[in-house]
Amino acid sequence: MKRACPLLAALALALGVATAADAKKKKPPVPAPAPAPAAKPAPPAAPTAKAPAAATTAATLTPEQTAFFENRIRPLLASQCLKCHSAAEGKTKGGLALDTREGVFKGGDSGPSVIPGNPDKSPLIRAVRYTDPNLQMPPKGEKLTDAQVADLVTWVKLGAPDPRSGAAKGKYASANERKVWWAFQPVKLTPPPAVENKSWPANPVDNFVLAKLEEKQLKPSGPADRQVLIRRLYFDLIGLPPTPAEVEAFVADKSPAAYAELVDKLLASPHYGERWGRHWLDVARYSDTVGDPAKRKESPAYPFAWSYRDYVVKAFNDDKPYDQFIREQLAADRLPNNKDRTTLAALGFITVGDHFNGNRDDIINDRIDVVTKAFNGLTVACARCHDHMFDPIPTKDYYALHGIFSNIEEPKELPIIATADKVKYAEYLKEKAALDKTAADLAAQAKAAKAAKTKGTSKKEMQKEALELEVKQDRLDITHPGAPTRAMVVQDVAMPKDSPVYIRGEKDNKGDLVPRRYLEMFRAPNAKPFASGSGRLELAYSIANKNNPLTARVLVNRVWQHHFGEGFVLTPDDFGTMSTPPSHPELLDYLSTYLTDNGWSVKKLHRLIVLSATYQQASKDNPRYAQLDPFNRLLWRQNVRRLEFEPLRDSILSMAGSLDATMGGHPVNLGGGGNNAGKEKAKGGGALRPQGNYSTRRTLYGYIDRANVAEVLNHFDFAPPEMPNGKRYQTIVPQQALFLMNNALVIEQARKIVERPDFKGVEDDEKRIAFLYRLIYQRSPTAQEIQLGQAFFEEAPAPGTTSAAPAPTVQAAPVRVAAAKGKFPQPAPRVAPRPLSAWAEYAHALILANEFTFVN
Amino acid sequence: MNPLEHQAQLADRFLTRRQWLNRFGMGMGAVGLGAMLGEEARAAADLNPLAPKQPHFPAKAKRVIHIFASGAPSHIDTWDPKPSLTKNDGKPISGGNGVAFGSPFKFTPQGKSGLEFSEVFPGLAKHADSLAVVRSLYTDIPAHDVATVFMNTGSLRLAKPSLGAWTLYGLGSENQNMPGFISLRPGGSTPGGAQNIQSAFLPGVFQGSSINTQAASVDQMIENIRNNYLAPKEQRRQLDLVHQLNAIHSQNLQKDAQLEARIESFEMAYKMQTAATDAFDISQEPENVRSLYGSSAQGKQLLIARRLVERGVRFVQVWAGGWDHHNDLADRLRAKAGEIDGPAAALLTDLKQRGLLDSTLVIWGGEFGRKPTRDKNGNADPGRDHNNRAFSHWLAGGGVKGGTAYGATDEFGGSAVTNKVHIHDYHATLLALLGFDHEKLTYRYNGRDFRLTDNFGKVVKGIIA
Repeated sequence: MKRACPLLAALALALGVATAADAKKKKPPVPAPAPAPAAKPAPPAAPTAKAPAAATTAATLTPEQTAFFENRIRPLLASQCLKCHSAAEGKTKGGLALDTREGVFKGGDSGPSVIPGNPDKSPLIRAVRYTDPNLQMPPKGEKLTDAQVADLVTWVKLGAPDPRSGAAKGKYASANERKVWWAFQPVKLTPPPAVENKSWPANPVDNFVLAKLEEKQLKPSGPADRQVLIRRLYFDLIGLPPTPAEVEAFVADKSPAAYAELVDKLLASPHYGERWGRHWLDVARYSDTVGDPAKRKESPAYPFAWSYRDYVVKAFNDDKPYDQFIREQLAADRLPNNKDRTTLAALGFITVGDHFNGNRDDIINDRIDVVTKAFNGLTVACARCHDHMFDPIPTKDYYALHGIFSNIEEPKELPIIATADKVKYAEYLKEKAALDKTAADLAAQAKAAKAAKTKGTSKKEMQKEALELEVKQDRLDITHPGAPTRAMVVQDVAMPKDSPVYIRGEKDNKGDLVPRRYLEMFRAPNAKPFASGSGRLELAYSIANKNNPLTARVLVNRVWQHHFGEGFVLTPDDFGTMSTPPSHPELLDYLSTYLTDNGWSVKKLHRLIVLSATYQQASKDNPRYAQLDPFNRLLWRQNVRRLEFEPLRDSILSMAGSLDATMGGHPVNLGGGGNNAGKEKAKGGGALRPQGNYSTRRTLYGYIDRANVAEVLNHFDFAPPEMPNGKRYQTIVPQQALFLMNNALVIEQARKIVERPDFKGVEDDEKRIAFLYRLIYQRSPTAQEIQLGQAFFEEAPAPGTTSAAPAPTVQAAPVRVAAAKGKFPQPAPRVAPRPLSAWAEYAHALILANEFTFVN
Repeated sequence: MNPLEHQAQLADRFLTRRQWLNRFGMGMGAVGLGAMLGEEARAAADLNPLAPKQPHFPAKAKRVIHIFASGAPSHIDTWDPKPSLTKNDGKPISGGNGVAFGSPFKFTPQGKSGLEFSEVFPGLAKHADSLAVVRSLYTDIPAHDVATVFMNTGSLRLAKPSLGAWTLYGLGSENQNMPGFISLRPGGSTPGGAQNIQSAFLPGVFQGSSINTQAASVDQMIENIRNNYLAPKEQRRQLDLVHQLNAIHSQNLQKDAQLEARIESFEMAYKMQTAATDAFDISQEPENVRSLYGSSAQGKQLLIARRLVERGVRFVQVWAGGWDHHNDLADRLRAKAGEIDGPAAALLTDLKQRGLLDSTLVIWGGEFGRKPTRDKNGNADPGRDHNNRAFSHWLAGGGVKGGTAYGATDEFGGSAVTNKVHIHDYHATLLALLGFDHEKLTYRYNGRDFRLTDNFGKVVKGIIA
C-alpha cells in the first residue's frame, strides 16, 4: 500500500519519522488508460497532535488521533495481527492480545508490546521490522509492507493513541467496521504503479500485478505457448475447445493483432453467453423446479424458468450493461421506457428460488439472500434473527428489505413474451383447451361437493386430481414445441406496506416498523425511504450504482475468478469482515472503475483482463516460487485449472461432431438418474424430467431439478441450486472417473470421433494418432507419444481398424431414464453394444487422461 | 510411529510415486502398467497412501460409523432429561427469552447403569450399558450449514479436511478396492454439501465418496459402475495406457496434487467396479439379518454401513437428518426417532454378534441442540429453536465407556455448564479413541502444520474405557 498523503508527510517531517512515501520513493506513475476517472480525495490525514505522550485514554484523544487509529492502525491490526493475538477470538499467542488498548500496553509474556513514544524500544515495532531473527511478526516471512511498518512507527511515536476501551466485546464494533473495513469504503482509483521491468506490462493490469511481484523479488512466468493460449482462451470465453484448423491458423498468424482479434471473435460468439450465462446461473440458484417435492400440494415445476436462463445468456451475448442487467433482474416491469417485453424474463432472478413449501417468510429470505450476495457480496440473510455478527448489518436492514419483497406477488397468469409458429401454437392451444376443460369440470365438481358437504376422502381425491392436472399442464408447457414463452414475473401489490422487525426472526413477535430502503451503511444521510410501489425499482437503482462500493467490485471479482481460478477475494459471495482481504486491492478498484467508466460493459472488462500479460502467462510450476507463494496469490504464473462439468461434457460432444448447437428453449435430458432417485414420485420433479435419451445439446440446457439434481452433476461439483454459489467446490472422486470410463455418452462419442470422415480418410497410423492429438488436445504429439499409441495398437487383441459397419444410433446405448411413476426400474436390459474398435478405445483413452480435463 | 515420521513417509510416498510415474513415462512406452506392477508389486504397495497404518498408540477403535442426525435434534427430548423444565412448563424461565417447554416424553433409567432414556428410543434402551452419552457439547454458531460443516471439519470458514479424511489419512484403509471414506445419504444433498466429506489440503484420495442409498440397485446407487463395452481385461489395458499418458503429462507440470489425485481416482474407480457391486448389495444378506434392520431407508443405510466396515472401509458416515423441529415437536420428533431407533439398535446388536463392536466406534448426533423454550413459528404445536450452547451425542463400541452420562447442562438444558465439551474437544476425543494424539496428527500445508483441532481440543477422558 503506497500512499501519498501530504499531511502525513508534513507530520512525519515534524516528528522526524520516516513515512511510507520515504520508505519507498515514489516513481512517476505509468499513465492511466484512456478513460481515467478523477482521482478520489486523499485518505484521512494523520493527526497533528503533539507527541509523544503516555498511553492516552479514549477520553483524552483528539479527533485526529482517533481518526489516525481508525484509518491506519485498526484495519492493520485486524487484518494482520488479530488472527493470533485477540482475546475475543480466544487466541493470545505469547500471551499477547492486541484487540484492546489494555492488551497492547500490558503486552505479552515478555512485557509491554509498545513503549509509547519510543518505537525502537517497542517489541511490536522490533517484530514488524524483521530486524531481530528471533522476533519476526507476522511470522513466516509475511512481513508487513514498508508503508504499514511506517504507520505503526508513527503510531508509537505519537504515544500509541488508542480509542478502544474496556475488554473487547465480540470481534469489532459495527460502527467501526463500517468506517474501516475495506469493502465498505468507496472504490478508490490508484494510478497503475511503476515497475522495474517496463517491457513486461501489456496493459495497466500488469503494472499492478508486477509491482507486487517485484516487491517480493519475484518475476512473472514467460508467455504461454500459442497452442496453450488458444485452448485456454476458448475454454475461458466460450467453454469449448478450438478446432485443429483454428489452432493451426492462430499458431501460424504472426500478426501482432492476431490474439486481440481472436479475443474479439470469441466475445462475439453466441457460445460466449452460454459459458458466462452459466456462471451467473450458479449465483442466481437457477432451477427448473420449486424444491423438495415431498410434501408439495402444488406442481413441482417452474415450466418457464428457462425463459430466465435464456434471458441471462442473451444479456451476456448482447453485452447488456451490467447496471441495466441488475435493474432488469430486480424491476424490469417497473423500468421507465422499457419497451422490450422480453426483458420481463429477467425477473426470474427473483422467482426461480426454492418455494419452501409455500412458507412466505422463507421465500422472502431466499430473495434477500440472493440479491445481497449476488450483487453486493453480503450475507444480509444472517440479520434475519439478530444483528449481523460480523458485518454492520442490523436486523432493521433485513426487515427494510423484507418490506420490499413482502409487497410483491406472482400473478397466476404469467405474461407471454414470445409465441412459436402459428401451427404449433394452435396445436398447443388445442391440448391446453382439453386440460382447461377438465380443470373447469373438476372445479365445478369440487364446488358441488362443497355445497353438498361430502366427506373428506373425496375431497382429498379431488385435490389429488387437481394436482395431477396441474402437473399435466406444466408438462405441456415445459415440453410442447408450440407452448408460448412466458416470463416468471413479479408485480407490486396495490397498497404496499412497511414491515415490522420480527424479533429473533419470530413472526409473532413484532417490533418496530422499518421503512423500505437498502442497507443503512450505503445510504446518504438524508435519503428518503423507498416510496414507489414495493420499492424494487429504487432498490435496483441503489445497487446498480457507481457509488455503491460493492456492486462493481463484486462483479469484477467474479469475472477475474473465472479467468484465473481464484478471485482477488477468495469468497465471491461474501466481502464482509470475515472474508480474506483482496490480494490486489488497488487492481480490484482499478478494474471496478474501468467497468463503471466503460458503461458497465462486461465484455470490455474481459478484454482488458485477457489481453494482459498476466493472463497470457505460462502455467508451468516454479518450485522455488511455490514455496514462497504456494497459492499463487501473487500471480507469478497462470493457474492450471480443471474443466467444470459443462465444458468437459460439451467438448466431448463437440469433438465427436455431435454437439447440437441449438440455443435456448425447453430444458433437455442430460441422461442418468437424479440424486433423489428413491423419492421420485409422480408429483415430484421427476415427473417432469425430460424423457428419452441423453441430449447432445450444451450442458447448460439440462433440466435442473432442485430437489433432485442429476447424480452426474453432483459428482462433478455442480453448484447446488439451493443457494447462490459464486464458486464451485473442486473434488476428485472415483465417480467422476466412472462416468468418463463407462458412460455410454462418453464412449459413443469416442466411437464417433474415429468415425469422422476426416479421420477415416487418414491412412497412416502415425498421422491418425497426430489427428487425434490435434483434435482432442489441440496440439501435435511427440515422438514418444506416437510410439506409445503404436504400441497400444500392436498389442490390441483385434487388429486396430475402424469399423466398416454403419454407425449405431445413440439410442442403442443402454441409457437409464427415470420412470414417470413410482420407483426406478431395474437397470435396462443390457443391449450388448457393438464392440469398440481399438481406435475408438484409444480415442477414449485420450479423453480419460488428465490432459483432456486440465487447462494450462 | 511418531507423527513426523508419519508425515514424512506420506510425503515420500507421493514423491516416490511421482518419480516412479515419471520414470515409467520416460521411455518404456510399450511396457504395460500391469507388467510394471508385477515387477514392482512390493514397491507399489509401499507407495500407496491408503495402505493400513498404525496410530500413535494402541487403541480399540479401528473404524467409525458416524450417524449424522442433521437438523439439530433436541437434546432435551432425547438424551438430557430436564425435570425442572417439565415442572415449569408454560412459565417464563429466567434468561430463557420465552416460556418453558417441558419435554412431552418420559425418561426412565435403563440397563445396569441406569442411564436415562427417552421413551422415543425403546430399541436403543436395550443397549444402555454400551452407550456413553455426552450431554455437555456446545458449538459456535446455531446455523445448520455452518454448524454441520463445523462438526465435520472443525472449521467454520476455511476449507479444512473432514474428520473422515483425517481418519483415513491417519489409519489408511483395509480395503484397497473401495474408497476408505464413504458417506451414505438417503437421497437429496446434505447441508453444507461436499464440504462435509472434503479432503481440502489433504491429498484427494482421503476425500469421502457420497452415495445415494435410495437408488433401487447398485447400478443406480453408483452410476456408471459397469462398462458395457469393454471386457475387464481390455479395460485394464486401456487404463494402463491412460496412466502412461498421464505420466507424460505430469512431467510437464511437475508438482500438482490435483493431477495425482485424479490418477488415483481412476485406479480406484476401476477396482470399485467389482468390489462395490458386492459391498452395496444387501440382498446378499440372510433374511434374518435384513429383518433385524428393517426395510426402511435408515435400516438399509445402516446395513450397508455394516457391510462396508466389515470389508475394511475405515470411515462410514450415515446421514439420518430431518431433526429441525421448530414446531410440532411432540409428533415429529417421535416419528423421527422411530426411524433411527430400530436400525441403530440392530446395528449395535449385529456388530456385537460379529465381534465387531469392540473395534468399531459408532457415534450419533447432530450439529447443535435446541432451546428449553417454546418455539411456535406460526404453529399451534410448539417446537424448539436452535441452540448452540448445549447438545448431546452418544457413542458406542470401540473403547467407549458404556453406560455413562458425561457432563451436564443447566437445570433447564439451555447451556452446557459442567464438563463442557466443545467441538474441538470432541474431535480430540474421537481421535484419541482411534489411537491418535490430536496435537500430533498433523499435515504440513502452506508452511504450517494443520490439524483437525486447530489450536484447541482437550480429550474427554470420562467417556473412554
